[in-house]
Amino acid sequence: MAVTLFLISIITFTVTNILPGDVAMMIMGTQSNPAALANLRESLGLNDPLIYQYGRWIFGMLTGDWGNSLLFKQPIGPILLQKMTASALIVLLSMTIALTLAIPLGVWSAVYKNRWQDTAGSSVSILGVSLPDFFWGIMLILLFARALGWFPSSGFVHPNEDFLLALKHAFLPSLALGLGLMAHLTRMTRATMTGILSQEFIRVARAKGLAEKTVIWQYGLANAIGPVMTVAGLQMGYLFGSIIVMESLFNYTGMGWLTYQALLNRDMPLIQATVFVIAAVVMLVNLLVDLLYPIFDPRIELK
Amino acid sequence: MKSKIIHNAISALGATVILGLLSPAWAASCPVKGGTLIWGHSETTQNLYTHQTGTISTMRILQNIHDGLVTTDKNLNIIPELAESYVVSKDGMSYTFKLRDGVKFHDGSDMTSADVKYSFEKVMDPDTGAVNKPVFNSVGSIETPDNLTVIIKMDKINAPFLGRLAALGAGAIIPEGSAETQGTMPVGAGPFKFVRREIGNEVELERFDDYWNGPACIERLIAREVTEPTVRLTGLRTGEMHLINDIPADRIDEIKADKNLEVLSWSHGVFDFVNLNYKFEPFQDQRVRLAVDYIIDKEVLLQGALWGQGKTAASPGFASSASYNEDLTQRPQDIAKAKALLKEAGYGPGDLKVVFKATTNYPYHVEAAQILVEWFREAGVELTIEQLTWADWLGQVWVDKDFQMSMMNFNSIWEEDFLYYSLYNSTGGFNYRGINDPVIDELTEKARVTIDDAARANIYKEVQQRVFDKVHDIVVWHRNSSFGAQKSVGGLDTLVNADGATYHFHKVWLKE
Amino acid sequence: MSIFKKFLNFKGIIGITLVLCVILIAVLAPLIIPPEFATRMDMRARLSPPNMAHWMGTDQLGRDLFYRVMLGARTSINIATSAVLMSLVIGLPLGLISGYFGGRTDNVLMRLVDTLLSFPALLLALTISAVLGPNLQNTIIAIGIAFTPYLARLIRGEALRVAQMPYVEAARSSGATNSRLIIGHVLPNIMPVVIVQSTISLAFAILAEAGLSFLGLGTQPPEASWGLMIQASRDYLDRAPWTALVPGTAVALTVLGLNMFGDVLRDVLDPRSQS
Repeated sequence: MAVTLFLISIITFTVTNILPGDVAMMIMGTQSNPAALANLRESLGLNDPLIYQYGRWIFGMLTGDWGNSLLFKQPIGPILLQKMTASALIVLLSMTIALTLAIPLGVWSAVYKNRWQDTAGSSVSILGVSLPDFFWGIMLILLFARALGWFPSSGFVHPNEDFLLALKHAFLPSLALGLGLMAHLTRMTRATMTGILSQEFIRVARAKGLAEKTVIWQYGLANAIGPVMTVAGLQMGYLFGSIIVMESLFNYTGMGWLTYQALLNRDMPLIQATVFVIAAVVMLVNLLVDLLYPIFDPRIELK
Repeated sequence: MKSKIIHNAISALGATVILGLLSPAWAASCPVKGGTLIWGHSETTQNLYTHQTGTISTMRILQNIHDGLVTTDKNLNIIPELAESYVVSKDGMSYTFKLRDGVKFHDGSDMTSADVKYSFEKVMDPDTGAVNKPVFNSVGSIETPDNLTVIIKMDKINAPFLGRLAALGAGAIIPEGSAETQGTMPVGAGPFKFVRREIGNEVELERFDDYWNGPACIERLIAREVTEPTVRLTGLRTGEMHLINDIPADRIDEIKADKNLEVLSWSHGVFDFVNLNYKFEPFQDQRVRLAVDYIIDKEVLLQGALWGQGKTAASPGFASSASYNEDLTQRPQDIAKAKALLKEAGYGPGDLKVVFKATTNYPYHVEAAQILVEWFREAGVELTIEQLTWADWLGQVWVDKDFQMSMMNFNSIWEEDFLYYSLYNSTGGFNYRGINDPVIDELTEKARVTIDDAARANIYKEVQQRVFDKVHDIVVWHRNSSFGAQKSVGGLDTLVNADGATYHFHKVWLKE
Repeated sequence: MSIFKKFLNFKGIIGITLVLCVILIAVLAPLIIPPEFATRMDMRARLSPPNMAHWMGTDQLGRDLFYRVMLGARTSINIATSAVLMSLVIGLPLGLISGYFGGRTDNVLMRLVDTLLSFPALLLALTISAVLGPNLQNTIIAIGIAFTPYLARLIRGEALRVAQMPYVEAARSSGATNSRLIIGHVLPNIMPVVIVQSTISLAFAILAEAGLSFLGLGTQPPEASWGLMIQASRDYLDRAPWTALVPGTAVALTVLGLNMFGDVLRDVLDPRSQS
């Protein structure tokens, strides 16, 4: 695990320095001129040798000092914490929404395999994926915020401040994200269920005279849930990628929004911090999935 | 029409504002006092330390927290602000400012000449990395003979100095010793004081009751960041926000027709121009540049790219400025003439291939480029588009000057030296097109040492003529900026500063 | 049941029909429709809803959406297919080897894959664009590389599962060579998952091209591609939703067709679902 984290840090650092353009230029925009840029770069510490910058960064992270954002001129640590909380909320909420919708849909499709229900299920599930996130985001805003007025159209409220309001602000972005996740989860549920439903022990259960509902849900889904959860976990990477766009759309200021701002403005310390944190979290989730894999599928041994 | 009424109101108010600012005893008369105004801002607020801030986005907030030594009236004439009066010596080598007495900072301390000296020396200090450092390039020393007098002595004549001081927050005065904390707690002498800021979310300002020019009408101002145009517009329509800036160009007419909303739009402050790089060989030929000018139908392009939200113009200057050259009119589209010119220069149909670098930061530039492709094809030139992110555009076009043709806009540069010198002098900081014109160099240098305002204005008129004649750039239009507001917001006519890009909430009020 | 009969159900028919239609359009449209139909602008009919003159409406520059979506098919399909193929070419062998051999090989390979997998695809794309330069080939490379880690991981999981099946273990101990087992036994068993994943990836690839155009990669305007059309519709969604729905429906139908076709194909190939 430490090795992966180390690799992640190397890649993060390399990527940040490969990206053309620098934050001094972004700060000054079209007011920039060579003399002023040179001054600004010097005062921001951008001229120090790379190895030194890398070392300083790693050492800082280990001692809890994440450096300062060059764009916002604020220490990164507290910003990260706040934005992580925001994103945690929508990550959990969107995954919940997605699973709640995808699993029943997938099961339904599997049970009525190759009939019109299957096609209907497939159609609904791929809707989320055929049109990009911003489309769903804006459509949801127009429907629920503008037309119905049930939810706010933008912004973020901290759950500690007002939990209900925080949920309200988090709901629309989570719903939009959930729709994108659905495609994959529905299909995987369907695929796994189909495989399970064709197995011997299902036939036996049916022969025993158990109600179809029991067969499907207790025997079928219970076994399918493992791989589906595995896939859900693996979707974390995709989810964290999606929040970059979605949070910016709703101005829901979480890690996605922060990463986007950092990348857009080439704010190196901030890019390093956000990318590293996201990569580390995704890696940890993947690791968790790996460890839990054999629990879901006892036939697998981890060598 | 509504816009005409607003225009007249602005002029009338301009006169009142001048009188008002000259009379320190004028108390703000607010029809309604109090309330919290929620403003949906299209930009992200970045560094709160005004000296280190270069972007309009953050400056809009900071200019309500800080007042400067001098400012401008609606007609871009320089008038005193924190200074009560000023005198420029006959030889232009020294500026004496008499400060207003009794001006308070948000932390309760009184403003004195020491604060002015501190503020300007901070900007001049290379370690600050101040964006406005070039403004003080010719300053030799700053003397403070008494608490309310500041004498700035120049090393050499810099006639535009006062104008530069009034523009873009260069003359903002901060309390002595406060530079280190300005980033977390900006303190100034402006009508609003800083309460808190949540990065990416919002900035909260509160009325400063001891403001020297009378307290503001509203109690609280919340600047909420909503960068996505559709979402911002929705926020206005749902009532979540009282006002928003920059309504998407294609929706303006629709919002204007909405009886529940108020729209303010103006066309000074931002100009767009098409750039031709002198480093690209074909563009070194005057005839080719002229041909490009004749290929573009500016009116149709404005309609196509910006839904007509703007005013075509041949000069980048502010129309209300004394130095604006009104005689310049754009060349009309004439594809036949363009073809002839190209042929003369040795480019038959299909010979010339040009790459147009457009930044996705301004989607309407990309639209404009696509329209240009069609016209260029008619003229026998193959134009291809390369989309660049803002960072890439800045890196490639602005810094590396690696491009053939591009398009850009500039914001609120009304101060002539800043505008014409930076853009067109061969050593200018914004001269990414590689313009090297000795006539312009001479004119812009001369303007710097011409103390008489009228004479200096004439020199700049000549610069504009020269740029037009030589087709150093093709200015296409001045783009409209806009505000949308609920009917409950009053004082909208005082909202926009003369530079057309920054906002002043001092006299805005809520009708509840 | 013969293979063809297996396709003759509701799903199979629709799936195949859709896929064939899309392929036909992608191949034939550029031959029939003159290219300027996609770029000519009618400034008096901007953002107009579907009508007699413009069957699917027009976009913000007055361009006919019907012709654009027809001509855009080829570009989008081309990019998406190439990118997914690329991710298969790299990811399939990677996953197979890792899952089959397990142990240290698995550890090392998956460590590398995991590292890449942890990074948001947007960042990978931005980096590749920066390093290699923004053009069509590099767009394909960027999308292909971004998709590879996930595919490799998925395949590795499946390969691991199959490799531990009793009959595979038995075959191995009775002297069958590794390569024969991998190609002969493991590969066919994981094909269903690969197919399912590929069809979804194609959808993502089309959309990825849309997102990347914002970064300067991908199709350059005024050329038409579904991704670019969708991206351009962003500012006009509440006023003219058809600018997004027209290319969006094209993507949806393509993805649907691929999915359904893929599902039926999987059923044909998957020995477990013989019923």
